[in-house]
Amino acid sequence: MDHLTDALTAISHPTRRAIIGQLANGPARFLDIAKPFDTALNATTKHLKVLERAGLIERQKQGREVLISLRGEPLREVAGWVHEYERFWNERLDQFQQYFKAKKKKEKK
Amino acid sequence: MEKNSKKTVEFKFERTIPAPTDEVFDGWLDPKIPGNPWNMAEKLLLNPKVDGFFYWLIKGNSHYGRFTEMERPSRIQHTWMSRSTSGEETTVTLTFKKQGGDTLMTLVHTGIPDTEAGRGHEKGWNHFLDIFPEQFGNSSRKEK
Repeated sequence: MDHLTDALTAISHPTRRAIIGQLANGPARFLDIAKPFDTALNATTKHLKVLERAGLIERQKQGREVLISLRGEPLREVAGWVHEYERFWNERLDQFQQYFKAKKKKEKK
Repeated sequence: MEKNSKKTVEFKFERTIPAPTDEVFDGWLDPKIPGNPWNMAEKLLLNPKVDGFFYWLIKGNSHYGRFTEMERPSRIQHTWMSRSTSGEETTVTLTFKKQGGDTLMTLVHTGIPDTEAGRGHEKGWNHFLDIFPEQFGNSSRKEK
């Protein structure tokens, strides 16, 4: 799979989105990440693997601890082209159409 | 960053505009009219004729392009490059067709580097992406 698909797959699960939200506040240890979730540690490990494959997280050794931190680039890339082309043109064209609708209404009066 | 595959996607949009084609055509090239790409620019250089260039700056993002077709009042085509086209030259084509007293306006944006997987997901992700803009911003700053 390509990296965009990996990123989209990664953010398709609510738990993984919650992990992303949590890591956006700063790096965390594995147990801190797993704590808020009512799931087995094994499940958290699986979620982290999916996030790691998408390049959304990285692990760094600090002494005896492993810190997990968020890498935003894959998300930014997804957001970037969705906003630029799908949303951007739709918004612009709606505005353009609205301008002429309002103009016509005004002329009728 | 990993290079995207050579696959490209395109988007097509249609709108019916309640005005004659020449008025809609002119409106699309007039930076004062809301909704066209040139409106609300922080900086704009616009030379709307064949082989004329544009430079358009919005929210710190630069966009460049060259007009390749200009047939008033039916057709406009220009190239389009920005950070979001990954340095590739994409193409925007507009057609204006008379539909009674209205104009059927079509905008096609082609050559956008991406993958089929992304195209399939584009709509569903808007909601999620709305929720997380701050996270995107924060993480991008951290990486700089």
